[in-house]
Amino acid sequence: MTSSITRRKFVTSSAAIIGCTGLVNLNYRNRSNPNSVENEDLMEEVLRYEKIDAHAHVGLNALTPTDIIDIADRLGIGTLMISKPMKPGSLGSPEEFIACNNEVHNAVKAFPGRFIGMLTLNPTYPKESMQEIKRCTDLGMVGMKLYNHVKINDPLFDPVIEKFIDLKMVILMHSPIGKSRVVLDAREPPNVSLPEDFVDAARKYPEAMFQFAHIGGGIDWEDACKALQHSPNVYVDVSGSNNEGGMIDFALRYIGEDRLLFGCDYSFYQSVGGMIAADLSESQRKKLFFENYQAILKKSGNHVN
Amino acid sequence: MLIDCNSYVGHWPFRQLRGNTCRGLLERMETYGVDMTVVSNLNGIFYKNTQHANQELHDEINSDKRFAKQIIPFAVINPVYSGWQTDFETCRTKLGMKGIRLHPIHHRYELDHPNCIELVRMARDYNLPVAMSLRMVDARTSSWLDVEKEWSLRDIIPILKEVPDARFLVLNVANSTALSDEELQIFRNTNLIMDTSGRNMNDLGQMLSQFGQEKFAFGTHAPLLDSRTGLLRIEALRDQEADTKTKNLLRFGNIKRFLKL
Repeated sequence: MTSSITRRKFVTSSAAIIGCTGLVNLNYRNRSNPNSVENEDLMEEVLRYEKIDAHAHVGLNALTPTDIIDIADRLGIGTLMISKPMKPGSLGSPEEFIACNNEVHNAVKAFPGRFIGMLTLNPTYPKESMQEIKRCTDLGMVGMKLYNHVKINDPLFDPVIEKFIDLKMVILMHSPIGKSRVVLDAREPPNVSLPEDFVDAARKYPEAMFQFAHIGGGIDWEDACKALQHSPNVYVDVSGSNNEGGMIDFALRYIGEDRLLFGCDYSFYQSVGGMIAADLSESQRKKLFFENYQAILKKSGNHVN
Repeated sequence: MLIDCNSYVGHWPFRQLRGNTCRGLLERMETYGVDMTVVSNLNGIFYKNTQHANQELHDEINSDKRFAKQIIPFAVINPVYSGWQTDFETCRTKLGMKGIRLHPIHHRYELDHPNCIELVRMARDYNLPVAMSLRMVDARTSSWLDVEKEWSLRDIIPILKEVPDARFLVLNVANSTALSDEELQIFRNTNLIMDTSGRNMNDLGQMLSQFGQEKFAFGTHAPLLDSRTGLLRIEALRDQEADTKTKNLLRFGNIKRFLKL
């Protein structure tokens, strides 16, 4: 960044050029830093990108589906992949995951075209889990979100992963917090999936699509990205409340522009702000905000129109 | 106009930072149209003798005329380390510091420590604002060598009560903002500003109603946090939550008044 003129001056002169030439789609980016934006134009820039929130929920905090859509509208998030995983530490019974999935389905019915549902289950109950996959995909759900009842590389998961390979749908799994403190956060049960567990599962099932949850969600994101660098079938979502500077830039270096996904996990402002602040090219922004997840959805024929 | 009331130079020992010099900061400000920035030196958290960090910041600012025009330096003072009164005096009279920065969690003292109270009173008497952050980084992701403690908003009340006529800049409001009616009244009655960088600022519209629109100002907490989220929370407010006049107070008006710029 060695621009000799301020953004304000650049924007003013660029706007004049755009006005003269009628090239209305020309944006006002500074060539020395294609991501730089005058502050008055921040919302214009945010709203310019089509977005799929690859990690969204309903029913996990006080925000109602209507509240969520309100925030999504402010930030130009057109589609949200919603789920309701079971509470950590719960039994994880079929009654529980069915109730969670029903809540997701109700939210999708309330906001069709904005929410796409993802199911949850517990592979400890294999028969009921397979029945639930059938029921939920018949209802239009696409993909699966899991918390920490069973590790992703536990053999219990094998038939579920194989089913999702057939369905061509992604498996989104929670990631742990506190790894950089060596001892995991007390809220994490022993069977939470660590980055190395994802590596293991991805190696065993190279045809499956896994999504490593929220590198901004309290994990040591440098550790996670380095662990997942050589796992081509693990996508990484950048959601979470911890919008540390340079996080997405670092993830880009290790994971690459084709495996990173924009997501919020309820942290809408941090996740959009972090994306806009990151040193991404225009095409990389489009990939992360929308195209990468759209490509995942396309595999099962459920892409966004 | 845009004024960032929460930014840093210096190093964070557990993670590489970018743009953590005055030059890097100025480039970032230019990129995003930020006119002025309140800055302190992160090294002051980790040097036992914080005065080295203040001197470093002073020297860097004076290495380029542009820095002095746009950077508003705050001195890191540790009131439980010998010589802090002299450090305060030097920073005020010789180093051009426009406020002081406390780091009680890292420097291991409580806000009601007699020395801390004395320092804040000195700041009040010399008309300098006192800045403190509810946390520096997310304890969940930080190193095993870093502190684990974080504050909620309620935790700063002891110093507000002890020196109610001081000016306070409360940064990175990342944790609970729940307050009793009595506690909320203390915040309302104090000359205090919270910056918009913290994760608990997500419902800024509601917070404006609760605390008052004069209590908030744009801040980034960069380069520890990203440079855009603090402003996004302001710009995404709907007209019924904040009209242009109110947004301008948040962008620069409130902090300009607070810092007497």
